[in-house]
Amino acid sequence: MTKRQSRLFFLVSTACFSLVFLALTLHSHTRFGELTNADKMDAQVIAGKDVWHSNNCINCHTLLGEGAYYAPDLTKITQQRGEAYLAAFLSNPSKFYSEQRHRRIMPNPELSETEIDDVIAFLDWVSQIDNQGWPPRPILVSGATFPGTNTQKASGVASSEQAPPAAAAAGEQLFSDAATGCSGCHSIAPGVDLAGPSLAGVGERARRTVTDDGYTGSADTAAGYLRESIVAPSAHLVGGDRFSANGTSFMPTNYGTDLDADQIDALVDYLSTLK
Amino acid sequence: MRFRTQRVAYWYFAVALSLFGLQLVMGLLMAAKYLGPDPLIDLLPFDVAKAMHTNLLIVWVLAGFMGGTYYVVAEESRTELYSERLAYIQLVAWTLMGATAIVGYMLGWTAGIKMLEQPYPLKLVIVAVMLLFFFNIFMTIRQAGRWTLTEGVLIAGLVLAALLYLPALLPYDNYTVETFYRWWTIHLWVEGVWEMIQGSMLAFLLVRLSGADREVMEKWLYVIVGLVFMAGILGTAHHYYWTGVPGYWLPIGGFFSALEPVALVGMAIYAYAAIRRSGAAHPNTLAVHWTIGSAVFTLFGAGLLGLAHTWPAINKWTHGTLITAMHGHAAFYGAYAMIVLAMISYTRPYLTSNRPERGQSLGYWAFWLQVAGMFGMTLSFATAGIGQVYLERVMGLGYLDTQLKIQIHFVMLVATGSLFAVGVILYIVDFFRFAPLRVAAPHDEGAAPRHAPGTV
Repeated sequence: MTKRQSRLFFLVSTACFSLVFLALTLHSHTRFGELTNADKMDAQVIAGKDVWHSNNCINCHTLLGEGAYYAPDLTKITQQRGEAYLAAFLSNPSKFYSEQRHRRIMPNPELSETEIDDVIAFLDWVSQIDNQGWPPRPILVSGATFPGTNTQKASGVASSEQAPPAAAAAGEQLFSDAATGCSGCHSIAPGVDLAGPSLAGVGERARRTVTDDGYTGSADTAAGYLRESIVAPSAHLVGGDRFSANGTSFMPTNYGTDLDADQIDALVDYLSTLK
Repeated sequence: MRFRTQRVAYWYFAVALSLFGLQLVMGLLMAAKYLGPDPLIDLLPFDVAKAMHTNLLIVWVLAGFMGGTYYVVAEESRTELYSERLAYIQLVAWTLMGATAIVGYMLGWTAGIKMLEQPYPLKLVIVAVMLLFFFNIFMTIRQAGRWTLTEGVLIAGLVLAALLYLPALLPYDNYTVETFYRWWTIHLWVEGVWEMIQGSMLAFLLVRLSGADREVMEKWLYVIVGLVFMAGILGTAHHYYWTGVPGYWLPIGGFFSALEPVALVGMAIYAYAAIRRSGAAHPNTLAVHWTIGSAVFTLFGAGLLGLAHTWPAINKWTHGTLITAMHGHAAFYGAYAMIVLAMISYTRPYLTSNRPERGQSLGYWAFWLQVAGMFGMTLSFATAGIGQVYLERVMGLGYLDTQLKIQIHFVMLVATGSLFAVGVILYIVDFFRFAPLRVAAPHDEGAAPRHAPGTV
């Protein structure tokens, strides 16, 4: 190869690949609107993006997997944590995690209530971006919810008692299913409180709760209480201010509408087996 | 130094090395924060240290590139610089910009965009400094009336780097679009035009250190830069996979970024073959170490470790974990830190008085401690990252619990990072222990170029 040829190689290949890159960029612009739901990008989302930037969030967290690796990824956080939880968390993160136990903690960003609402709206918009299905399975902030742990625990319960009804098995599936997301916030291991309280022994506990004087809901059976806590989480609050604020539970309220009646029945059956 | 005004390079290098030292302080602090708890959380939280760490890197490496370019351009065009004073003004503006950015981050003044945290007014200062720089360089070449391919590629790389900074000046409402163009700056810098700069500095050093035929070296320089662009331009796609872009970027990113190591293998062979032919006879043995070291470490850090997680099916699991930090550290160090240190090592006997050209033991310690330390840091990030991917991404253990399980790798990171820091401190001490030279002194350029440089 002569110097002339090598120069030709450099110029021609660089020109060709630059052109292809530019053409694909132009084409991508015709798709961004649809892929990112640009129509839902209202003033609040854009204001939330400014809150995200001006607080330098990206230099601890990742978003769409990009950023720093010192704090959890937040791409799908609004699908794992309710708005009430996120708002309470952002107003005082140190209430939720212990620096002694987790070795690191989020400094209080000192956001106004409007800023908190804006940044949550922004994160919610991000969580809807069609990004090729990433992450392939939910990235949890905390807790030890190995898929296998749940199964072993549940079958251990089953073998010591009578065989659980078929619906309970379906409920167990639903509980750990990523789409339903229960296991993202609730562990069934004793003492493991995630964003929601541990549900270890909740079947037994439900029986005691409905007869308790402090019970504020309207159910009169254990199963009724379990159903109520799925569809109307604020009817009876447990666990203090880690899980609720101003009489409102942090648990999302969409399960009553997003799950159909059979699914809720199955979940109640499954939870009743946890003793 | 053959030309009096080449002495500006000394001050660019002095600034670069000082900021390199500061970058390490931030790096070690961050490693300690990974171990936690963090007593400095209110004074200097992780996010601020991180912004300072990455920005210092960019500022010092570019200061090294600019200083190196002033040295190379004078030498290749065989002339004094057009304006020495302008070069100093440029350096002061650059340093002030860097310092303001650092202080600003501590006070919460930030654009909050990864690597492009510089607030808007400072971004304009960066553009102004670049324009000043190009003006000075172009006037120098014009006054000399001659230029060589090596310096041509070097300057083209810097001009393109400045052009690619421009998308960062535009505001974007859509986060996905903002991310898309952020990579035009960051990716096309580090896997495109900065490699062009690295390649030309490598060519400049190899011609002088090995006495290799300039025509041959420049011919292969075209091929290497051509290969870098061939893979690197469309390789940008490997940053797009999961950000909300059309699906075709996945196979494109996988294929072209898998090709990226080809150019880097070429670069390593290029450097090794040139030095092997001459039998490493050049007296400046440390410059030889750093030059070959840069080519080889780039192949390892940018090529091999990049390839390790670039394929979409793998990246799906490793994206956004410490695996990225593994690749990032080794790649930046090999390609950019080491080439600047090579440039400094080659030029410093000519820029300072009474410094022996042959390497001394302090310099060898600096080299080997840095290489060993960075290799250890890379392994620490790799082992931590592999643990993180399996525990957190594959098995579903929570992020915070996973971080507790991989603590031991952060201990390893602090230990190897400290080793690296000792190497850098020795390099800085070695640099500053000889006073800068004030007048031009003719010297033996190693092996002088056998062919006359091209003319305009």
